[in-house]
Amino acid sequence: MFANILINGAITAGIYALLALGFSLIFGVAKIINLAHTAFYMLAAYFIFTFAYFLGLSAPLSATASIIITTAIGVGTYKLVIERIREHETAVLMITIALALVFQESILLAFGSHFRSAPSFISGHVELLGVTVSIQHILTFGVVLVCLLGIWMLLSKTKLGIAIRAVAQDREIANLVGINVGTMCLITMAIAVALAAVAGAMVAPLWTIQPHMWMRPLVMVLAVVVLGGLGSLKGSFVAAFILGYTVTLVVFLFPTISFIKEAIALTIMVAVLLIRPEGLFGVAFEEERL
Amino acid sequence: MRDYAWRLSKNFQGEILAVPGKAIAFFFLLFLFFVPVIISNPYILRILIFASIFAIYAASWDFLSGFTGQVNFGHAVFFGVGAYATALLNLKLGLPPAATIPLGALVAVLTGLIVGIPALRLRGHYLALVTLAFPIILTGIVLAFPNFTGGELGLYGISPLSDSRVLIYYIALIVMIASVLIMWKLTDAKSTFVRTGVILHAIREDEITARASGINTTKYKLLAFCVSGFFAGIAGGLSAHFLQIAGPSNLTLFFSFQPIIWTIFGGIATIYGPVTGVYILYPLMEILRGVIPQLRMLIFALILIVVLLFMPQGITTWFRDKIEVECPRCKLTNVATRQYCRACNAPLHLEQRLEQR
Amino acid sequence: MKKGLVALLVVCLVAVALIPGCQPGPEGTIKIGVIGPMTFVQGEQHWMGATMAADEINEAGGIVVGNVTMPIELVQIDSNEMLSVPDAATAMEKAVTVDKVDFLVGGFRTEAVLAMQDTAMDHQKIFLGCGSASKEQCVRVAEDYDKYKYWFRITPINDNLLVMDSFLILDTVISVVKDELGIEEVKIALLMEKAEVGDLIVSACEHLIPAMGEDLELVGTWRPSPTATDVTAELSAIKNSGAHIIMTYFSGPVGIVYAKQWGELEIPAASAGINVEAQKMGFWDATGGKGNYETTLNQYARIEQTDKTIPFFDKFVAETGEFPTYTAGTYDALYILKDAIERAGTLDSDAVVIELENTEYFGSAGRIVFTSTETGNPHDLMWGPEYVTGIGTQWQDGELLCIWPPVDGSWNGLVYEGTVAYKVPPWVIDYWEAK
Repeated sequence: MFANILINGAITAGIYALLALGFSLIFGVAKIINLAHTAFYMLAAYFIFTFAYFLGLSAPLSATASIIITTAIGVGTYKLVIERIREHETAVLMITIALALVFQESILLAFGSHFRSAPSFISGHVELLGVTVSIQHILTFGVVLVCLLGIWMLLSKTKLGIAIRAVAQDREIANLVGINVGTMCLITMAIAVALAAVAGAMVAPLWTIQPHMWMRPLVMVLAVVVLGGLGSLKGSFVAAFILGYTVTLVVFLFPTISFIKEAIALTIMVAVLLIRPEGLFGVAFEEERL
Repeated sequence: MRDYAWRLSKNFQGEILAVPGKAIAFFFLLFLFFVPVIISNPYILRILIFASIFAIYAASWDFLSGFTGQVNFGHAVFFGVGAYATALLNLKLGLPPAATIPLGALVAVLTGLIVGIPALRLRGHYLALVTLAFPIILTGIVLAFPNFTGGELGLYGISPLSDSRVLIYYIALIVMIASVLIMWKLTDAKSTFVRTGVILHAIREDEITARASGINTTKYKLLAFCVSGFFAGIAGGLSAHFLQIAGPSNLTLFFSFQPIIWTIFGGIATIYGPVTGVYILYPLMEILRGVIPQLRMLIFALILIVVLLFMPQGITTWFRDKIEVECPRCKLTNVATRQYCRACNAPLHLEQRLEQR
Repeated sequence: MKKGLVALLVVCLVAVALIPGCQPGPEGTIKIGVIGPMTFVQGEQHWMGATMAADEINEAGGIVVGNVTMPIELVQIDSNEMLSVPDAATAMEKAVTVDKVDFLVGGFRTEAVLAMQDTAMDHQKIFLGCGSASKEQCVRVAEDYDKYKYWFRITPINDNLLVMDSFLILDTVISVVKDELGIEEVKIALLMEKAEVGDLIVSACEHLIPAMGEDLELVGTWRPSPTATDVTAELSAIKNSGAHIIMTYFSGPVGIVYAKQWGELEIPAASAGINVEAQKMGFWDATGGKGNYETTLNQYARIEQTDKTIPFFDKFVAETGEFPTYTAGTYDALYILKDAIERAGTLDSDAVVIELENTEYFGSAGRIVFTSTETGNPHDLMWGPEYVTGIGTQWQDGELLCIWPPVDGSWNGLVYEGTVAYKVPPWVIDYWEAK
């Protein structure tokens, strides 16, 4: 049972981390809480479904096309809607909910509420430490690591990454030294949405596709990001593991109440925040005066 | 006595009729009082009853989040606790609605304390995102104890508010007006007999200065949680007795978003804004149900986006600025069409002021 | 200014007066409201079943009421019940007071149906339930007959009977599994979504399975949420438990997730029970074919439950491209209503209720007779070999086939033509043979 918990927990954590990565990034840089993040994940899943079923494209090709289109939509909505009110943080929260609803309803009109599925990249399963795991799950876990590494390389080794970090740390100073803050935010938004789309490509074949599929993951993404500390990528990763193992432990130790595994994970999140109000790796709040 | 009546009528003329916003509110309320005389269709009364209930719910969100800046994304917790507590008191103890609804609201106040105390340690987005967790945790509890809470079916067989739809209508309307007036007075910064309004304003604008001025900000924020919980609980209780069912659908994510949407639409930090928002959007949704049911939610979301982009202060504030103008000298509110202030005769608009010079 | 206010008042009045949008239908039609979650599959099926029946009845002239013949006019009412219970009750009230429907069919989610039932009963409108299985709705009829007598359940059989059917299917599967795997003692795991019916089955299993025989062992109970997106941890734990059979209850999307991951991971246990999503034609695609061998209690398959089943099934598939599921029972509901109205010779609710109570109708899924007012749950469906039975169906290579009542006739000698034997998934056989 130990091996089961170890592996299933890691798999769950990988999915949470992949979903939360982009969300955490865009908050860290542009201070945007994008509640439509998982709605982009939903859009990506539907594009994959469309390409794979109606155009008959292969899984990797549909995924690539879908990631590009979703990112374009993300950049478009950022330019048209979010950027105009970026300074009003509460308004951003509201408008991203509204955007998520717009996406959900558009998809509902186009595809109906039928459950759909996306093709896996590789089907089948393997035995790992005596535990049966689907290859898609392992692949997802690998993609999380690659994405994390990629983002880390980008942020620490490239000029662009340094500029993005500068914006994240102090927008005014970044502006003063000649960094185009608006462009940096746009680029970060594009990366964040692309990450949501990657999550869609990886996770959609594991779960089911339907217009309301963004709500439930959104809650877990928020839990991961808040627990880890808003804007901290490392924090999100660690929190994804804490929550992933929590829900897995509930399933294995208390199977008859596994339906409230998320509620239990959220309770743990609240409990941790009571001790550390800024999350595990968040920056402690200074009582700023504006 | 006659003197008093005279002063009241003078007040009415000067304070209500002369201020367009208040005049509209007054005539709208008057209109609501006469609706059952004109229309007896139970469907329309039902929509207006729900509008009254949700107006309380939305205003209570505004009281907490609009006025103290503590954005609550899990407001459904208060509504749900009110509904469940009311239902349980009615079903298990057989208490009548007159007792269950206030008691249910008190339980919601208790929830306000339970949620409020940890929430106070958190700031800004952390608070917003953590409050989101509470309804989900509560749903978990509800589902885990089906013998007590009815599980996913909810509690049913709750006694009705009254057998007469018209009477229910008036109960909901009067409770709504009373609740909204109380919340409005509590937040009125100009009020001379309750200080909470001006203190809440101070906390929202600059918490540290407020604290430095000797205000126990924690106490007032907790008070806001309790008052908000109380009125949301009242709304939940009314809804449970009206629908005769209290179930987990009261605790969904979307139901927590609803009061936020109504408030943003109507105008945040105003109390009357969310009420207006509900009375416009809720019937509008019903009309859309009849006309284009598939596009209902889409239109709803698009309206929200348009309002946020172009009228970020909400529709009432936007509209009020069009019809009212504040006298630059004596700060009295005037009808926008007036050239000169009704009290001190100062010119109201910039052009006239320039002309006069 | 005063003029403006008067104008405003007039506008408000006009707006309110316009809300109902009263359009009285053409004189002499019978208005039947079809109420359900129209943006969801369940509501779509409510509507499809009802339109099929209404078209057929109208083509044949209509319903004979006394000495006039009246056509049916259907009114589609979106209850939005999946998302909002207040909406559902409001939609019901609109149907009755604004659209002025004479009768109602539909309803799906139990919490919402209880609220809609109250509203319909307040207006003394006949409401034929076609979706919610809660026995409570019929218990209410016994508790307050005068108020609730306008409620009847057409589909599905009530939750207690669903439990009964699940056990009968399980029994069949147990005997096949014993044969195929060559084992004497069968271990059973329960994987039941957290829902009212799930609770009933779990408590029944925990009492009955140990009592059913020494050779059966219950190895554990897992209760995921109806909307869970991942059950790999549960499946992994079930595999660990050494179960030969997974007994399921799923009414929500988790049913698809389960079937997909069960097939993908080739969990070595046969699956039996209820999986509502597996009743739909889209199930095969939604699981990417991984749902092969998934078994579910069902209402319809292309087998001869009565002589109406196959014509109905074929016509439904041809017109809609979907399998009928139990919410398409609105089809039978309209015919039952037609017969009752014709016997009563009037549209008066009270008179029609009396005739509905005398219903004996060979419907598309069996012989429909309502439980008597003497029972604890009147106006419910009678269940048994001579009435409605429900059937067990299994996906076998892209086709949904009937596997219960069993092909060997071991259940009261009843076998519907077209029934096949239950198939244990090959990977299950391989796994246990290798052990």
